Amino acid sequence: MRLWTISLRNLRVRLVGTVLTTASIVVATALYAAILVMAEQTEQRYKGSIGGYQAVVGPKDASQLELVLNTIFNVGEAPGLFPLRVVMDLREGRVSRRGQVRYAIPQARGDSVSRHGFPVIATLDEMFHLYEWQQQPLPFAAGGPFVFSYQDLLELAAALAAHENGLRAGETTPPPRPALRSEWRRAVVGARVARTLGLSLGDAITPVHGKMGEFGYHEHPEAACTIVGILAPTNSPLDTTIFLPLGTHLLIDGHEGGVFVVDVPPGKTPDDAKRLPVAADRIGLTAAVVDPKDHFGARILRTEFGARPDAQVAWPQDVVPRFLRQIGNAADALTVIAWLVLLVACVSITVAIYNTMNERRREIAIMRSLGARRLQILGVITGEAVLLSGFGALLGLALCHGAAFALRGVVEDMTGVHLDWLQFRAWELWLLLGVTAVGALAGLLPAVKGSLTQVADNLAPSY
Amino acid sequence: MIRLRDVVKSYPLGDRQVTACDIAELDIAAGEQVALVGRSGSGKTTLLHVLAGILRPDHGEVEVVGARLDRLGEAARDRHRGRHIGMVYQTFNLLQPFTALENVLLGALFGRGAGAVARARAETLLRQVGLGDRLHHRPHALSVGQVQRVAICRALVNDPELILMDEPLGNQDRATGEQVLDLLLRLAAEGGKTVVMVTHDPASAARMQRTIDLATLRRSGGVAAEAGR
Repeated sequence: MRLWTISLRNLRVRLVGTVLTTASIVVATALYAAILVMAEQTEQRYKGSIGGYQAVVGPKDASQLELVLNTIFNVGEAPGLFPLRVVMDLREGRVSRRGQVRYAIPQARGDSVSRHGFPVIATLDEMFHLYEWQQQPLPFAAGGPFVFSYQDLLELAAALAAHENGLRAGETTPPPRPALRSEWRRAVVGARVARTLGLSLGDAITPVHGKMGEFGYHEHPEAACTIVGILAPTNSPLDTTIFLPLGTHLLIDGHEGGVFVVDVPPGKTPDDAKRLPVAADRIGLTAAVVDPKDHFGARILRTEFGARPDAQVAWPQDVVPRFLRQIGNAADALTVIAWLVLLVACVSITVAIYNTMNERRREIAIMRSLGARRLQILGVITGEAVLLSGFGALLGLALCHGAAFALRGVVEDMTGVHLDWLQFRAWELWLLLGVTAVGALAGLLPAVKGSLTQVADNLAPSY
Repeated sequence: MIRLRDVVKSYPLGDRQVTACDIAELDIAAGEQVALVGRSGSGKTTLLHVLAGILRPDHGEVEVVGARLDRLGEAARDRHRGRHIGMVYQTFNLLQPFTALENVLLGALFGRGAGAVARARAETLLRQVGLGDRLHHRPHALSVGQVQRVAICRALVNDPELILMDEPLGNQDRATGEQVLDLLLRLAAEGGKTVVMVTHDPASAARMQRTIDLATLRRSGGVAAEAGR
């Protein structure tokens, strides 16, 4: 027999009070742990996802946060279009001779797949050859990339411009609209897309304009693509992305004419502008991912794009930490609330044990008469608080992991944050010890009261 | 074994001090079995608590089992009581949430330790008093006589040199009380233990080797204070 045996037995005797007090500790600990897990996994997701995105080029009138969130994290709608010219200038060294880039890969968004709204990114095959995610090319679990090169894009843009200009000039036989080649009707899908939709290599997917179920959406059966590659899981937004050749996006029915970015000249109306001739380099893009060759090149880009009227450059390494700080403030506020809940739970320990002290005076006096020192009585009562808080904290952590297991699908659908319910973190041990320690402190007040019980006065039963 | 000189213990009552225990001289030898008698309120229980080290006298010398209790601090007196003194009460004072065996082990826990040896001794004692089949019963499931036997086992589990009893038969019928007292005195005699029993009952007192009337011990030789405990 040990002192803690007495503590445990005392808790069992007051089972209802013990269960209720433990429940309050469980809820408080689970709440606190859940907030920490969400904040940690959100930060991990956002910080882990920006590896590879050195810079994002996008339309001038978008906010940098909007541009980064949409391009990297698939959040919100594409904030507008900018002309292909910007990418051509970047790739051909016309932005600045010293501001050379390793790559500048154009992207166009606006379509999605399935009722889950998995976003479609129309891009070049360079996304699988040049672009690096966390210092590695995008990892394939099966298959490989589609083929659609920068040269294909330039040729297609020229053909589309010729066709469009013929139409705008009212020619009776304008140059034909380029056909959607069968080798461009290919897709690479992220791991979660494949898992959720049960897709494998050779299956077909049909892009939807907008999002299924939302106003103005429509399917593009003419652009149904065969899956040629499935990416390995990355625990990043790439998992929920579908990559198509940019050519497929440009040739989808309904995109005719609208794929060009046309400036409205002074004194003209937008309708007038629709009749003006278009150039191949005015093909509209929603973003381009850019990797400057060196730090100096990055500084040049920053300066040059500051003065450029048609596009801007955003730096995820700057934007994301700022964004996370904002999220962090909200998480901090929630953490304070969780601490308050924990504090209330600990006060409930104090109250629960303190209220039993009067009825336990005789029991304590008996133990003292058997030779128990005041410190041992203090230990027995504090032990009850430690058992309550420690067990409660342990159950709270278990509840947090259980909730992560049960809700992981919903959370991932709603926020894109992947909850790893099996991952145990070092801070969980500290939380367990911290809650137990705070619980022990909460037990001190009744423990001191109990240890001060007068033996001779309380040995006889009170009537 | 027990040596008291000029011991006074008083309590505040309103704005005055009331003397509960006033002993000029008391000596009890090792192995003696002594009954302390006196009228109600003569301070018998207070004296028992002083002997146990639960109360510290206002002044005077209290030497019990080789320790000057009047000079020891509270924790040291607690430790001394746990190791050298076994106590049996009129109200038994078992803890209800614990089984018979656990109640006996509680005495060991605060005495010489509740390890495997103590557990074996506790089981042996309980079997000796006929409770071998009641080891894991809680007090509410035992008869009054059985409860008192558990209390006796608890008092003996640390193999103490001194056993103090406060009206141990007060809550039992005479037959059961006689049996329990027989048992206790036999076990004490076998172990060569000193027994001091506070009692009202002349028959029980007569079973002891010596009877001491507290009134004869008073320094003043007068009548005990009215508020003695």
